[in-house]
Amino acid sequence: MTTPFLQIRGLRKTYDQVVAIDHVSLDIKQGEFMTFLGPSGSGKSTTLYIVAGFQEPTEGQVLLNGKSLLDVAPNQRNIGMVFQRYTLFPHLTVGENVAFPLRVRRRPEAEIKAKVDKMLELVHLGGYRDRLPGQMSGGQQQRVAIARALAYDPPLLLMDEPLSALDKKLREEIQFELRRIHQETGVTILYVTHDQEEALRLSDRIAVFSQGKIEQVGTGEELYERPTSRFVAGFIGNSNFLPVKVEKLGSGRARAVFPNGQAVEGDASAFASGSDGTLMVRPEQMRIRPGTAVGQELAVTVRDMTYLGDSMHFAVQTPWNQELAVRMAVRDGQGLCIGSSAVLEWDTQHGHVFA
Amino acid sequence: MSTALSSTTVPVRRRFKLGPGARGIKLLIPVLLLLAVFFLVPVLALLLRSIMEPVPGLQNYVELLGSQTYVRVFFNTFMVAGVVTLITLLVGFPTAWLLAIMPKRWSQVMFAILLLSMWTNLLARTYAWMVLLQQTGLVNRVLMAIGVIDEPLTLVNNLIGVTIGMTYIMLPFLVLPLHATLRAIDPSTLRAAAICGASRWQALRLVLLPLALPGIASGALMVFVMSLGYYVTPALLGGTGYMMLAELIAQLVQSLLNWGLAGAAAFVLLVVTLGLYAVQLRYLGGGRSGMGDR
Ligand SMILES: Nc1ncnc2c1ncn2[C@@H]1O[C@H](COP(=O)(O)OP(=O)(O)O)[C@@H](O)[C@H]1O
Ligand SMILES: [Mg+2]
Repeated sequence: MTTPFLQIRGLRKTYDQVVAIDHVSLDIKQGEFMTFLGPSGSGKSTTLYIVAGFQEPTEGQVLLNGKSLLDVAPNQRNIGMVFQRYTLFPHLTVGENVAFPLRVRRRPEAEIKAKVDKMLELVHLGGYRDRLPGQMSGGQQQRVAIARALAYDPPLLLMDEPLSALDKKLREEIQFELRRIHQETGVTILYVTHDQEEALRLSDRIAVFSQGKIEQVGTGEELYERPTSRFVAGFIGNSNFLPVKVEKLGSGRARAVFPNGQAVEGDASAFASGSDGTLMVRPEQMRIRPGTAVGQELAVTVRDMTYLGDSMHFAVQTPWNQELAVRMAVRDGQGLCIGSSAVLEWDTQHGHVFA
Repeated sequence: MSTALSSTTVPVRRRFKLGPGARGIKLLIPVLLLLAVFFLVPVLALLLRSIMEPVPGLQNYVELLGSQTYVRVFFNTFMVAGVVTLITLLVGFPTAWLLAIMPKRWSQVMFAILLLSMWTNLLARTYAWMVLLQQTGLVNRVLMAIGVIDEPLTLVNNLIGVTIGMTYIMLPFLVLPLHATLRAIDPSTLRAAAICGASRWQALRLVLLPLALPGIASGALMVFVMSLGYYVTPALLGGTGYMMLAELIAQLVQSLLNWGLAGAAAFVLLVVTLGLYAVQLRYLGGGRSGMGDR
């Protein structure tokens, strides 16, 4: 019976009438890279700031190693944090910035010097000790911020959209560094982002936030393959949402009826719940082949096609005039052109029905 | 407040940047002319009188710097200005900080009060302090009523009166530029200091004060320089024991008609002021009043 490393219990935070977060609960394992993913305003930062101690929750509890963090002042929590904007101390050199948390802890000078060297080495900024933050690029500044946040070996590192101000190339570079730093130090990381690709690339597990609540928690693969809500399916990866009515057929079978009356049949478990709902299929799970549909086959018309090098992207129109995205290997798309009639297919286990 | 200031200064700066060449200088001619007529000429006239009256030579300066009485006045002037600056800083920094972090609605009210007091007639404000601080004044009566003191304190016609009165008058000149500087400091920077383990005191000493230093320096210099040449408040609230330079100059001109000595005193004051300004330019990158800048 081990207590989880970090427990977030029923957190709720309101500002006057606005509910910022509501009953957010989550357990985080030691050494885990946990990402809060969600659109802007969904309560990710609020949750993170409560863990950091800059906000007080209206309700709920945060426990680190079983002990409440809430009565501990931010400067006593011994947590590392990297902010969205560059928050290096502009009047101090890079070396002094990294040394700052050690100085306020009154560590011996020799230890400080060795640690600063080590941390700057960790973020590959060995030669920059005497620069001022203003003389460095945004990416370098954020790396210094990471070094400063890790200098005192905090058990927990919080990061609030640390890369959102950087351009794509730099972002990917630092994401790669972050993974390495996470592996080298073993620090537990709580990471906030609104970028699903970033979340998938970095995280052990992802908590998807929507309107102040956690929609689903899981590995990237779980969220992608088995989303439990339309929101998660839409937020992670690309999806097609088809309006359907689900009819149970007995003996574990069910069918999903499309607006034009056609239907697909499958295991009832594949059509999880709800009688009126949405059937979600990922573009890469759909296939089209040239020809005219017979029987229950879905007839579609190719509206657009794009060559993407490693794959082919099609926009196809259904009989009920909905446009769907299909992604296939280039060779499977041969024989199709814009305007041609085609048959749309997918394996029923790749269809997810949401209420 | 600060945003209003900066939004009006920005377009002006841009216009001047448009014409760095001859056109720009031509545009400046009226202003330069104005400065010359209203500032440079009187100052030169004063300098001239100080070395020409009653006879040509430096005897006015010799008398000024050689006499115990006048040196004492210089000392008083610098001492009072120094004390006023110090106390204005001690009161003004927390005030500016509060204004920077309090909800906007409240800070607007505070600003209104601050500016209103600034725009009220100086003489009226100084007389108000005389009334408040006199033996039977409100301050003494309150202190006696709550039992802090048994005898009324002498709060006017001495150093205390001058310091209180001048600090009150100088406060806005420190708070306004300092507030602008503090507002420009990202609150995340202080959060970062806290999460790094800094106590409030450490965050103040190691982060906030160094970052606010330009505003503190320019505000303090402003207060110090203004205090050096201040006349009304020291004349009304100070006693005869603490005569300051401006009072001396007034006396020399009005009672003694000694324009030469008065000119010398004024010129010494000007040189000291310019010297202080040069120091600020040299060490703080200057030109930056702190108001709406950065
Ligand atoms: N200081 C505040 N005052 C009022 N509302 C706030 C405040 N901070 C956050 N909120 C509200 O709380 C919600 C969650 O905000 P936040 O946690 O910052 O979201 P995210 O980081 O996911 O973008 C938003 O609706 C936001 O408007
Ligand atoms: Mg946020």
